[in-house]
Amino acid sequence: MVTAYVMVKANTGEADRLKSQILDIGGVDDAHIVAGDVDIIAKVDVESPAAVKEIAADGIQHVAGVEDTQTYIAMD
Amino acid sequence: MRFVIIGAGRVGLRTARVLREEGHDVTIVERDANKAERARNDEFEVVEGDGAREAVLDKVDLESADALGALTGDLNVNFAACMVAKHFGCRTVLRIDEDYREDIYRKFASDVDEVVYPERLGAIGAKNALLGGNIRAIADIAQNLQVVELTITDESPVKGYSISELSIPADARILAFGKRDESMDIPLPDDSIGVGDRVAVLADFDVLEDVRRILVGDASRGAADELTANAGGN
Repeated sequence: MVTAYVMVKANTGEADRLKSQILDIGGVDDAHIVAGDVDIIAKVDVESPAAVKEIAADGIQHVAGVEDTQTYIAMD
Repeated sequence: MRFVIIGAGRVGLRTARVLREEGHDVTIVERDANKAERARNDEFEVVEGDGAREAVLDKVDLESADALGALTGDLNVNFAACMVAKHFGCRTVLRIDEDYREDIYRKFASDVDEVVYPERLGAIGAKNALLGGNIRAIADIAQNLQVVELTITDESPVKGYSISELSIPADARILAFGKRDESMDIPLPDDSIGVGDRVAVLADFDVLEDVRRILVGDASRGAADELTANAGGN
């Protein structure tokens, strides 16, 4: 199993919609609206590192209102 | 009242000055040594350190402060400072760095009482300057609501009317009226509107241009300049 955290920078104030659309993506385990220079942090739990990339690049980045993402893969 | 301002940059220092001019006590927290020095030279009480850290905020006695303005350019610092200040019962004001975040922080940041986006007022000021000299932004009430002061010109369609005869859009209200060279006051129905008089209006952005057309007309920049020149001797 691979766990990863995806920092999501938005460009819309519709944080609720973004959060729920991100949570709807398969493999996304949890998501929170956060204070600071990113707007949402999503936790991803999948089988392989390739699946992490798929979720971040094809899933989350394709949600309307997502400007950019940055992914951190857990090592422990 | 006593205020704590986090950040002695463009926004923080200016806010601190305005508060001091109005007779309030201000303490500034600034982590950059040069900026802290500049604020000290300006005779402000400055605590040097990171405003996101509780140990630093402990030095400013938040318990005796009425409010904290987290006005740095760093959203993480601003949010942390507001959380600590709220714990001490302060009113908290947070500066945001991008306009879309305004709604997010209003809705989710329970430790933040007020959100400010300084660029918005700056843009309104620039827009007013571009439009000409007979309209001036006074306050930004909400994202789509603004209080403006309009000066009646020779070309104003309503010149010679009384306040009660004014017909302005539904999404606008007349808040105050001032005869030329007199201070603003509560508008009375019988007040007559003449050149150089000022009208303060609360208006939705969508009807702001209509309000301007009704009250000052399509006056050219030249007409506005002429008015300013006429009023110049006062």
